[in-house]
Amino acid sequence: MRNYVAVVFDDTSKAYEGLHALWQMDDEGAITVHGTTVVHRNDWGEYQVDSKDTHPALATAVGVGVGALLGALAGPAGAAVGAAKGAAIGAASGGAGGAVADLNRADTRDESRYETGWVLGAGQSAVIADVSEDTTFPIDERMRRLGGSVHRRAYGDVRDDKWFGDYPYDYYLYPYEYVPPYSPWWA
Amino acid sequence: MQDTQVRDAVDQVRSATQQLHKAISDAAAKRGGAAKADLEAVPMKAKAAIDSIKSSVATQNAAAKKHLTEAVTFLEATRKHAAEGVKTSGKEFQTAVRQTIADARAAVQQVSEAVAAKRTAGATASAKK
Repeated sequence: MRNYVAVVFDDTSKAYEGLHALWQMDDEGAITVHGTTVVHRNDWGEYQVDSKDTHPALATAVGVGVGALLGALAGPAGAAVGAAKGAAIGAASGGAGGAVADLNRADTRDESRYETGWVLGAGQSAVIADVSEDTTFPIDERMRRLGGSVHRRAYGDVRDDKWFGDYPYDYYLYPYEYVPPYSPWWA
Repeated sequence: MQDTQVRDAVDQVRSATQQLHKAISDAAAKRGGAAKADLEAVPMKAKAAIDSIKSSVATQNAAAKKHLTEAVTFLEATRKHAAEGVKTSGKEFQTAVRQTIADARAAVQQVSEAVAAKRTAGATASAKK
């Protein structure tokens, strides 16, 4: 089965451990990872998404695209980033912070359709992944051991959820393990 | 033995397309001539990935074959947009780079889905034994 997965961690370093573990499970053949990214919410409540240092227009597109995906996964109550209106979140590229979330523009559509609501709290980080998994056990168990909480939505449900912008959500996820150079993972 | 060789072939194609996406997105981070020089190498890398897929596609199951065939289409588009991009500049160049990244991303996605289809088929076959 194909799912979008969000794994929430209290600690940024743990989030990168979670990211690494996902790709490691892919190497082992336990799951297939199609794409990943890491989203952070700082102590002031601003969202940032890991992105390569690139052209500002591309970085903005990544911020908007991942913001929309986050909204689709968490629901307006959870992430406060709307999918339908495509509210922007910052793309943290090359260590420089991007634009911050415009929460006033966040979509407030009916959240009852969401199976699970979750909140990315201030200071937390989430690994967002598009995966194929025969069973949910490998990811759930591995992430639990790292202290992460796993949230899922079926890929088909999210795909049907509108807001594709210029490109589908997949476009904004890295199809390999990408850890930005400023990450504490390298420390 | 043949199964191992086939698995390795698709995994290698996946790795090649991942590297291609990485190269293009790294090129997008550069400015002017440096970005263009990196983009010039893309059509050849895409061609190599296409050739790898074509040499391994025949032995795949139907689902994997479908994804790999679609990956070839996206890799052809990657070649086209990269080749066109090196002839442009300014905003047109940025547009071409963005299209090239999107094509390469879609190609990796298709190969990755082929890997998933192959793994699922393998798991199902093992469960039946």
